[in-house]
Amino acid sequence: MLFTSTDFVSLKLPPGIDTLRRELRAFLDEQRAAGRFHPHVGHGEFDPQFSEALGARGWIGMTWPRQYGGHERSYLERFVVTEELLAAAAPVAAHWFADRQTGPSLLRWGTEAQRLKFLPAIAAGRCYFAIGMSEPNSGSDLASVRTRATQTDGGWVLNGQKVWTSWAHKAHAMFVLCRTSPLGEKKHEGLSQLIVDLKSPGVKTRPIRFLNGDHHFNEVFFDDVFVPDDMVLGTIGQGWRQVTSELALERSGPERYMNTLPLYFAVIDALKSSADRMAAQLIGTLLARFVSIRTMSLAIANEFGREEVPDLATEAALVKDIGTHFEREITEAARALIACTPRLEGGTDIERYLAEATIFSPIGTIRGGTTQVLRSIVAKRLGAQQ
Amino acid sequence: MTEPSLLVAAIGRIFEDHYTSDRLQDAKRGAWSEPLWRTLEETGMTLLSVPEEHGGGGDFAEGIEALRLAGKYCAAVPFAETALLGAWALARSGMSIPSGPLAFAVAPQAGAVEVSQAGARWRVSGTLRDVAWARMASALVLVAPHAAGAAVLCIPRDRYEITAGENLAHEARDEVRVSAELDASSARAGNDVTVERAWQRGALTRAVLMCGALDRLLELTVSYTRQRSQFGRTLIQFQAVQQELARLAGEAAIAKAAALTAAAHIDDASAGLYVAAAKVKAGEAAYSGAGIAHQLHGAIGVTDEYVLHHSTLRLWSWRAEYGAEAHWSQKLGAQAVEAGASALWKRITEA
Repeated sequence: MLFTSTDFVSLKLPPGIDTLRRELRAFLDEQRAAGRFHPHVGHGEFDPQFSEALGARGWIGMTWPRQYGGHERSYLERFVVTEELLAAAAPVAAHWFADRQTGPSLLRWGTEAQRLKFLPAIAAGRCYFAIGMSEPNSGSDLASVRTRATQTDGGWVLNGQKVWTSWAHKAHAMFVLCRTSPLGEKKHEGLSQLIVDLKSPGVKTRPIRFLNGDHHFNEVFFDDVFVPDDMVLGTIGQGWRQVTSELALERSGPERYMNTLPLYFAVIDALKSSADRMAAQLIGTLLARFVSIRTMSLAIANEFGREEVPDLATEAALVKDIGTHFEREITEAARALIACTPRLEGGTDIERYLAEATIFSPIGTIRGGTTQVLRSIVAKRLGAQQ
Repeated sequence: MTEPSLLVAAIGRIFEDHYTSDRLQDAKRGAWSEPLWRTLEETGMTLLSVPEEHGGGGDFAEGIEALRLAGKYCAAVPFAETALLGAWALARSGMSIPSGPLAFAVAPQAGAVEVSQAGARWRVSGTLRDVAWARMASALVLVAPHAAGAAVLCIPRDRYEITAGENLAHEARDEVRVSAELDASSARAGNDVTVERAWQRGALTRAVLMCGALDRLLELTVSYTRQRSQFGRTLIQFQAVQQELARLAGEAAIAKAAALTAAAHIDDASAGLYVAAAKVKAGEAAYSGAGIAHQLHGAIGVTDEYVLHHSTLRLWSWRAEYGAEAHWSQKLGAQAVEAGASALWKRITEA
């Protein structure tokens, strides 16, 4: 009942894709050799210099029109870049949300002025966005947000608070989902998206430290922050439709199942001389799962290239559910296959990856839609009423 | 193949028409569905995906989709063996395809056979186990090792003996004893049919059949949980039930994605990777999918009267045919470890 009209049978990567892969691998090898980055498993590292280098090579905003600094390449080419960066555990956090969410939203809902202001800078790897969705009392139940904007002369005055906002302390701007009319019967109505300059007076960020002390998440407070009319994204009152429209792209990408792959690779190389039958079966089982998840992700990316993009939000929810659990299965398999102690410092690569993957393991199935919410989405499609 | 073709829609209706409790019960007593086979033959569907010059029609993708529907509706006929396996091996070897249903076997996996050749005379002898539909077939197509790679032999029904056997779902899986001389019109060697490719194709057919069965499990389970009420609500209104339904849908979807991708790559260099992935995923989905479907049906699901078990018994049987998960995952894993991570990543991404 899912993937009913998705094309798996004639899906092929376009010609020339091997050249793109070779360029990427050469670039990544060169960056690694120069000590420009060290692979880490987890949230990804925030590295503006690396993002700029990617931008200079045309690997950000790949599918966007040229007039906005994009490169008019296919979603499958973008897929290839994404998976190569993740396989190498490259530091992509700085531009990640801007490339994946902000750009497509601006292209779909933004004004010409907004597109010209932000997109070329994002594609160059110089402009970073945070995404302001969750609030202290609105996690999975996102439509219940209370941050509100009231109309004033020439714009809106924003008050409220966002939480779990990744990299808000380093980003330039933020998409804020807020209420522009009071919470009524239908809570999906009356929501809007504002583009907030994070240097605006009245914006304050405070770290929410991750369980290992890392600063990645933030609380962001808005205290009478003025947002001019020309920084309203799309239509006032249409915020819910706007934020949910990008979910298929957001939930189905390789970043939902590849985060622990460097650990899998390290285990394979460590086993080289000592893989017995059961070890081979475990490695092979994970490979079968990986290849199958990748096939679903690739097929969804391929559908984005169509004239009329089908609604694949449910299928994407499924990829995220299966993919984020798969990431943990790798971590567990590593423990079964290699006798080692997880160590953040001073150990082997496997020990470090295992430590990072372990610490990171609870978050994949929470951020961007919890397992339970994703499964409710699938059940709804099957005919369940919630 | 974004919309099912008219041909596939037609064949789907035929399978569905024959999906009746009488037929399913007959099949449980070891019978095959001769009326279904006759209908398929009359409409020219038994050679779907076989090249036109060999008397077939339709394309490979249609053959695969038809096979998925055969799995969905528990079709008790050798559709996979005839259209996608036997006729494939014969056509690829430039041999003519006999009329009637075909059985198919791959040696040495199915058993030890000796194949020898002296000029135009061929000799084949040996015993094969668990040969699908052998007793109903008009001929057995055997792919076996040969000095020139592999031999493809077409052995008429009157040249082999059988001892009837069956899988868990009571589908005919017979022991075949053969000791026969064949002439050159019934045997070829050295074509692009290899033991490995034949085995991969066999595994692909099982993965595709299993996708069909998983689809049926999902339909039955959704429909049952929408009808059945307990504690004053339909089962599907319980979140605990919804979460399990979503898992079942997920298993069916990933198995389908894997199997259809394997079908797309069956003739290229990455067939080994994708077929192995598809058979492993189908097996895992059979385990968890059948578990969820039965759990959500409660006790009614395990009765002889209710239809669910026809699909779950087939899933559990097909899971073991042409290599279970252990076989394919070990092969994948051993290759991965041998090649190393960097070569593995290239293999995945160049596929």
